[in-house]
Amino acid sequence: MSASTETANQIDTKGIVVGLVGIYIAGIAASAEIPYLAFLAGIGAVFATKMGADAVRRVCSYGIGTGVPSIGMLALGMGIISAMFGLALGKMYNAVFIGPIVGLVIALAIGFVVGTLANKIIKLNIPVMERCLMEIAGAGVLVLTGLSVMIAGSMDFVVITEKVIATGYIAPVFILGALGILHPFNASLGPDETQDRTLIHAYSCGAIGMTIAGVCSIAVLDPIAGIISIVIGLAIWYVTFMGFVRLVKRDAGAGYVGTGLLPPGAM
Amino acid sequence: MEPAMGMGLVALMGAAATVAGCSEDLESDIGSQSNPNSQVQLAAQVGYPHRIFNKAISGEPPSNAMYCAVGAGVAMVLMSESVMSASPLIEIAIGAFVAALLNGVFSTTSYMGRNASQTRFNQYVYLDVLRNQVLSLMGHAYIATFCIVLLSYVLWEQTLIGHPFPFPVIALIWGLCVGAIGSSTGDVHYGAEREFQDFKFGSGLNAADSGNITRFAEAGIRSSMDNAWFCSKFGGPATGIAFGMVVFLDNWRSTAFGGWTAVVVGLVIVLALVIYNRKIETYARKKYGPYPEYAGEIAA
Repeated sequence: MSASTETANQIDTKGIVVGLVGIYIAGIAASAEIPYLAFLAGIGAVFATKMGADAVRRVCSYGIGTGVPSIGMLALGMGIISAMFGLALGKMYNAVFIGPIVGLVIALAIGFVVGTLANKIIKLNIPVMERCLMEIAGAGVLVLTGLSVMIAGSMDFVVITEKVIATGYIAPVFILGALGILHPFNASLGPDETQDRTLIHAYSCGAIGMTIAGVCSIAVLDPIAGIISIVIGLAIWYVTFMGFVRLVKRDAGAGYVGTGLLPPGAM
Repeated sequence: MEPAMGMGLVALMGAAATVAGCSEDLESDIGSQSNPNSQVQLAAQVGYPHRIFNKAISGEPPSNAMYCAVGAGVAMVLMSESVMSASPLIEIAIGAFVAALLNGVFSTTSYMGRNASQTRFNQYVYLDVLRNQVLSLMGHAYIATFCIVLLSYVLWEQTLIGHPFPFPVIALIWGLCVGAIGSSTGDVHYGAEREFQDFKFGSGLNAADSGNITRFAEAGIRSSMDNAWFCSKFGGPATGIAFGMVVFLDNWRSTAFGGWTAVVVGLVIVLALVIYNRKIETYARKKYGPYPEYAGEIAA
């Protein structure tokens, strides 16, 4: 595996800061009757997806092969519980703006407990386990909150319950969030995996989630806000997907061929 | 609802589920997802580079749950009165089309990404493999998603069956279900039968034979289309019948009976299937067994 070009600390900082700032700007703007900034919560979710994907990449390099999909589901499992708890707590204390931060803190705590259990009780003995599971849970909660805020246009627990959960739009959000976190590394599994290729793929998976959440917000929030989100999501997806293809060309080298028989010597 | 109408809906859902199961299994066979994927993934590492599609979009249950949840989500957006008020069939078709596009994107990235990550084993990224297979993957995914979103719609719509869960959540659950059944029923036909058909019954698999399966077909180098051809003869239809039976029997017992009678009927169905499966298993062991006697170590 090649050396990391971006350290874990840099990726985490970007993921948490951009994630929270995006969610807050979108939430505050929507409560001030400006729903057109909802796409910022989606951009936060894209960066959070990247943070989760990098954590999956680091923990799964210890030889967790078929566990990659499971760990993505685990991320959103921890994420949905923490996100709903945080938002509900914000509603209980009449301070909706503490919701995302409380959710994030709870997710980090759950991630730490799950990581400790896996390492100490099940004795997986993976040194980065605790930290990576905290990052994965944090990414899960930010993706889920980000896309939910983007669809509902509010950080209010009651509004999100009514517009995202009761309508069922939580289903595509949940599964696209999970696949966004697990798919980048899963699709690059192999000894010649490189960090920049996996991470650019994470952006493109996050952008897919953002685009579909934008489609859902057309019916729930505002058609123009939804279309803005879709256009921005598709633009991010196109740029990052083409970047991914370019890096595949770079990594495959002479093996990137239009057609042909098996390589010389392989027959 | 009239009993005849209820049974008609149950029959429609069973039929849609049968088509969905068959199509889902063939889709995963073309892409070598789930069961056979570890063989395809390992092949290059044990010295067998290949031209098989390597579609690793997590396991089958989450990936199908994604297509169905997205299909249902998009269809539901279109159903809201402010957006479009066309026939639900058109809306479901558009939703399934969006899901098929996602299938194409995720398949492309997993094929390119995984093969590029195995460069040191001489595994090439063949663009013609990608172009040939992606459209058939998307086509099969479209059929599967359309049928499952349709049956979820019938289950959810208040004037039809009126299930209390939201539409996309029902689709997510049935997507997980069809993926799980495709993975456990149909993929065995590809992952075990297709790959190891020249081995003696019960002889186990030598690790050195792993990956051998990706190389030669009935004629020439094996491609993913050969696998679809092989699996469409048994694995796909078997998955379709399995998933169709799950949907049909489950909804039949709750439509035809009510309350505890439905629970008892469910138990009877499960018991009958357990006994029937055990009978088939012992029959196969008697017919094709016993395993060859242990003949001692074989010199390397």
